[in-house]
Amino acid sequence: MNFLNFFKILLTSVFFMIFSFVANANKEIKIGVIFDYTGPLAGGGSDLQALGVKIVIDHFNKKGGVEGYKINAVYADAQSKPEVAINEATRLVEQEKVDMLMGFYSSAQCVPVSAKLNAMKKFMWITTCISPAVLKDRNLKYVFRPQVHGGKFGEYSVDFLNGTSKEKLGIDPKKLKVAIIHEDGPYGSGVAGGNEAQAKKYGMNIVLKEGYSATAPDLSSLVTKLKRKRPDVILHTGYNPDITLFLRQAKEQGLKFKALIGHGAGYGVADKLFDAIGSDANFIYNVDPVSIWLLNPSSIAKGLPEVTKMIGDEYMKAKPDTKTKSAHVGMGASNSYVFFSDVLPRAIKKYGGIDTESLRKAALDTNIPAGGTLLGYGVKFPKEGSSNMMGQNQMASPVVMQYIDRKIKISWPKNLQTADPVLPLPKSSPYAK
Amino acid sequence: MAEFLDSLFSIFFIETLMNGLLLGGILALLSVGLNLIFGVIDVVWICYAEIIMVGMYLIFYLNNDLGVHIIPSMIAGILFSGLVGWLTHKIVIARLIDAAPINQLIATGGLLFFFQGAAMIVFGIEFRNMGVSLGSLAVSEDIYLSWTRLISFAISGLIVVALYLFLSRSYLGAAIRAISQDKEIMSLMGVDTKKLYLLTSAIGGALAGLGGCLLVLQYDVHPFIGLSFGPITFIICVMGGLGNMVGGFIAAFIFSELITIGGYFAEIEWGYVLAFVFFIIMMFIRPEGLFARKS
Repeated sequence: MNFLNFFKILLTSVFFMIFSFVANANKEIKIGVIFDYTGPLAGGGSDLQALGVKIVIDHFNKKGGVEGYKINAVYADAQSKPEVAINEATRLVEQEKVDMLMGFYSSAQCVPVSAKLNAMKKFMWITTCISPAVLKDRNLKYVFRPQVHGGKFGEYSVDFLNGTSKEKLGIDPKKLKVAIIHEDGPYGSGVAGGNEAQAKKYGMNIVLKEGYSATAPDLSSLVTKLKRKRPDVILHTGYNPDITLFLRQAKEQGLKFKALIGHGAGYGVADKLFDAIGSDANFIYNVDPVSIWLLNPSSIAKGLPEVTKMIGDEYMKAKPDTKTKSAHVGMGASNSYVFFSDVLPRAIKKYGGIDTESLRKAALDTNIPAGGTLLGYGVKFPKEGSSNMMGQNQMASPVVMQYIDRKIKISWPKNLQTADPVLPLPKSSPYAK
Repeated sequence: MAEFLDSLFSIFFIETLMNGLLLGGILALLSVGLNLIFGVIDVVWICYAEIIMVGMYLIFYLNNDLGVHIIPSMIAGILFSGLVGWLTHKIVIARLIDAAPINQLIATGGLLFFFQGAAMIVFGIEFRNMGVSLGSLAVSEDIYLSWTRLISFAISGLIVVALYLFLSRSYLGAAIRAISQDKEIMSLMGVDTKKLYLLTSAIGGALAGLGGCLLVLQYDVHPFIGLSFGPITFIICVMGGLGNMVGGFIAAFIFSELITIGGYFAEIEWGYVLAFVFFIIMMFIRPEGLFARKS
């Protein structure tokens, strides 16, 4: 090889390297992130979930993106309204030309939006909304949810009761009187359905099952009926402000019970509960994916505890008045972290890009073992045609937590327990029987 | 049937009736101001519940953030809401007083979103709570009545009486009644209708503030609290006959009893269904309102 030829090859190589660098530098994945930043759902947990997702996106961008792709997040506000969520999703796809959508807090929004995006062949990564109705029997091809589904929330609280009723309450589970009350959207109905099915399975006595509108200005009739039915345990699924309205009216009307178990959403924002009803919030249970700050660092994969800490630090920077870190932020963060750390790199490296099909194939390949996410559970989606809930993470499960003096204790399952559950309510509670 | 009879003759049915009465007290108080404004100015303030929200925020802010005692905070809330009512008329309504009703509706609807948006910018989307509970009155072993609601009930009764006396016994009240009957003639007789409209708007706003004082003790404050009360307040006013304060007062109790009784015998949502079906039927039978005088 003479010098001239060597020089030509060198020049060509440098040219391609520069071209490749410039091309990579311009690569980006454009993601539409939809949450409720305004409206009743915002303060009910949606803004905290959105914060978790934003922290993770900023974190990856600070590191230079994912596999050379910068993340260009376009944030949109669903305003706590399903019709706005649909319009925003359509706008992001058709006008902003996003590659995929992420987020969604409300199941009432997820149900129509998921169908629409699936029909448009757009990839949707649901971080939050939990209703089984979003995925059950719909065979959606491009919609994935690493989050625990609502049916499991409902089942888990009843499992907890079944496991503790005899020991703690001295009541055989078959004689335990439970009341199931819930907001009447897909989220509340889905969780309540799980409650009912599991309570029937254990032969519990369901004395009342009733839905109500989350914006109802008065729940006194519901409280009166509960007083009449005298349940031992109330299983409640609600947003806000219905939860605080219920608890306030329950106290004023003298409703007594042995335990109250909430299921995420409004019950997941401990600070708000304590701000609203003070120490009356003590000993209330909440079913949710575990707060990432409660997990024993040794129980999750190497490197993840540092991410948990980083998320906590950013959370406190964004909301310095926070007294008890909400599980909502951790949920949004963990479920988006799975996408950016596992699914997206695989789509790019193995399937060659960020188009819908590549993302779908990469999602279907997901196989994260237990302990491999910030929330502690694993992630695996059903293979095509193998489940009636396609796109649902089969390895996700919640925990039962109890609030004691603004601190969160894990009560169930026993292997994760951080404190012995206080059951029944002690006499210091105004709701104690 | 046995379940129905069992429910009917239960002590808890009495509690339901009482709760309906107490809820009626709140709704009556909220509807009085809206009715007054419509009766005199002939404009429906779609944003009325948002003025209540503004009053609630001010009371919360003064009491919770600045540590002002609850009573002065409430007085400030009432006065500020009165000012908001006055400004609403001065800046928006006065310019549309002779416009088509649809324009007035759109303008006050726009104000609704303005108040919601402004509250969101200033106070954020957080749910705020005074954390105050006045406890309850034990009527029997099974029946407890909320003191907050009992006080709301008493105050709404007093307000209706006070407003009635003001309108029937005072010079200004007589002028307001006269202008509500024929504003053109009153103008020709030298009465300054603009001043009376402003006064009525301020009183209506102050009544919204009073409603806010009672709601802030029972509900979370957030920019969208108006969504829970606005439509119901408006429906009560229509049911009682828009502008008819006594009609609105009675309609509030009918509406609230239907909600609570329906919610007691069936699922709670059926209470609202029953109340709205009753409203629709009444609109067919008496479109001018249950207690409207025939013109």
